[in-house]
Amino acid sequence: MVTHTAGQLVNHAAGVTDEATQQLTLVLFMSVAVITLFTVLLTAPQRDEIGEFYLGNRDMSPLRNGLAMCGDYLSAATLLGSTGVVALTGYDGLLYLGGTVVAWMMALLMIAEPLRNSGKFTLGDNLALRLSQGQRSVRLALVLCTLAVCLLYLVAQLVGSIALLAQFTGAPSGTVRTMCVVVIGSMVVVYAAIGGMPGATVIQVVKAVMLVAGVGGTAILVLHHFSWNIDNLLSSAAGNSALGDRFLGPGLRYGGTTTNKLDFFSLQLAIVLGLAALPHIMMRLLAPRKTRVLRSSVVWAVGLIGFVCLMAGVLGLGATAVVGRGEIVDVDPKGDAAVLLLGYELGGPVLAALLSSLAFVTLLGVAGGLTLAGASSIAHDLYGAVIRKGKATEREEVTVARLAAAAIGIMGMMLALLSWGTSTATLAFLAFAIAASAILPTIVYSLFWKGFTARGALLSLYGGLSCSVLLVVFSPVISSTPSSVYPDSDFAWFPLQNPGIVSIPAGFLLGWLGSVLSRPQEPQVYQEFEVRALVGADER
Amino acid sequence: MRSAYRSFSTMATLVSVGGFLTYVLLSSFAAGLMNQALIGRLTIGLALGLGQFVLMGVTIWLYVRHMRRRVDPVTHRLRAQLRENRTRAQAQVQAQARAQAGPRHAPSGRRPRTW
Repeated sequence: MVTHTAGQLVNHAAGVTDEATQQLTLVLFMSVAVITLFTVLLTAPQRDEIGEFYLGNRDMSPLRNGLAMCGDYLSAATLLGSTGVVALTGYDGLLYLGGTVVAWMMALLMIAEPLRNSGKFTLGDNLALRLSQGQRSVRLALVLCTLAVCLLYLVAQLVGSIALLAQFTGAPSGTVRTMCVVVIGSMVVVYAAIGGMPGATVIQVVKAVMLVAGVGGTAILVLHHFSWNIDNLLSSAAGNSALGDRFLGPGLRYGGTTTNKLDFFSLQLAIVLGLAALPHIMMRLLAPRKTRVLRSSVVWAVGLIGFVCLMAGVLGLGATAVVGRGEIVDVDPKGDAAVLLLGYELGGPVLAALLSSLAFVTLLGVAGGLTLAGASSIAHDLYGAVIRKGKATEREEVTVARLAAAAIGIMGMMLALLSWGTSTATLAFLAFAIAASAILPTIVYSLFWKGFTARGALLSLYGGLSCSVLLVVFSPVISSTPSSVYPDSDFAWFPLQNPGIVSIPAGFLLGWLGSVLSRPQEPQVYQEFEVRALVGADER
Repeated sequence: MRSAYRSFSTMATLVSVGGFLTYVLLSSFAAGLMNQALIGRLTIGLALGLGQFVLMGVTIWLYVRHMRRRVDPVTHRLRAQLRENRTRAQAQVQAQARAQAGPRHAPSGRRPRTW
């Protein structure tokens, strides 16, 4: 992952857009923001009921649910980052996009239905039912892991907004940077704190519709440009990449040494397994009232995400074919500008402005979902169950959730301002790795293994979290290479940038070890839980 | 029913996720094979990549069909049974039943039943 420096952007930023595009983007983005803000205020939960605040309207149709899931999942990283990677590295970039979709299979086939059947508001409720003995400490551990994932991912989105802004104005000055983060951050807080889940859903649905339409429309333009001939598209992409056939073969990005290949595998592992454990996705999985609705929602989500990812591949290849790889690298060495350049080339300032406002809205939506997930976890698990021991009234809990949303938002803003130079992708992938190695083992074990105990949960939550964080600290991301955070010092004894390949098995192993070593639970608890997970106890 | 649900979903997950991970490994370590051209510019690697999407589609279709045919009917029956047991238990020891069922288990009928 290349941490781009401000200087590179200054020199080339003028190439991305012109005045008209900038103004148009601003107008479009503001109008979408204002409209959604009003809708959020209108749909905001009026009564302080926790069910409504955490889960929103539980009777939505599968299509709307699926759209909301799609909106929660696809971030600006997919729209700009992945297409950029496709444009720069061809085949390896397409593999990324594949992983993004395959991740949902795990969620659909293994996690979604049992989780929804046995759960109530948050994952903490599932665990409390399943591990009733040590539920308070387990909830605490879960809150910590959830917050770590949410904050990292939130910071990634906010840092991404700075990077996106840099595409327009060149390297932003300190004030502009702060302004950008504060504006986006406070909008996110308003969405999450006032709107709760109903508000977040509105944004996700609007955003997903815009995303599907925008990406699909642009892809049609690309295909039309090549007169619907895929072969033609592929050969011009290979031709304009200045790399020839290597562009369409594996190994451009993660080729060469075995370390690199393992690194790529490790990344894919974290993406594929981490998705189902991301807090904001899990909240969506818990929302539908009926199992059948949940199933069709996830199927819709997979379909929509698959469509967007396929089209994103077309866009990436199209960017190389139409614009040329050299020019994309000139503007942004990471390739994030690929789609915007393509839009400008094919549809002039209007399309470029549409795509960039789409990217901002996308950022906003994902950040909102994350803030809400973190806030529900704090209010329900930490405040409701650990501090007040279940005695808090619904009104108190919702108030705490709103305050927590504000706190998380502010913390995210400050962290984003501190770490604005870091690569968005690194932060996001670390979040995926933590989710896959800390939260996923706990979910899988608690749903499917009757020997799982509270100590096992604690070990796998804390162990997975610290394992992935430590491995990143001692990896080339932090030290030893010119692109790391501290390029001058060298304490990187772990060769891979992505800790997944080690930390995910470690999380599972620790969970198993802890459960085997502690006193087994009464079998009755698991039996009740299992019936609940299969049948769906609170379904009417 | 547990085995019906679990064996199918485990297998399906293994096939789709495992298939993808194998594909990633193949792309890294058997690059030569993946680079062979099939038709025009379409190499084996790209074709397999598209194949992943097809595989996912088929898996999802099979899963939905399997759940609808094999699992849902059993679930409905069990759920009805559970509800019946619960009503009976409620009549006997009302307080105990409420504690067991939790706050969300209010007796059915508050909302129009969908089946």
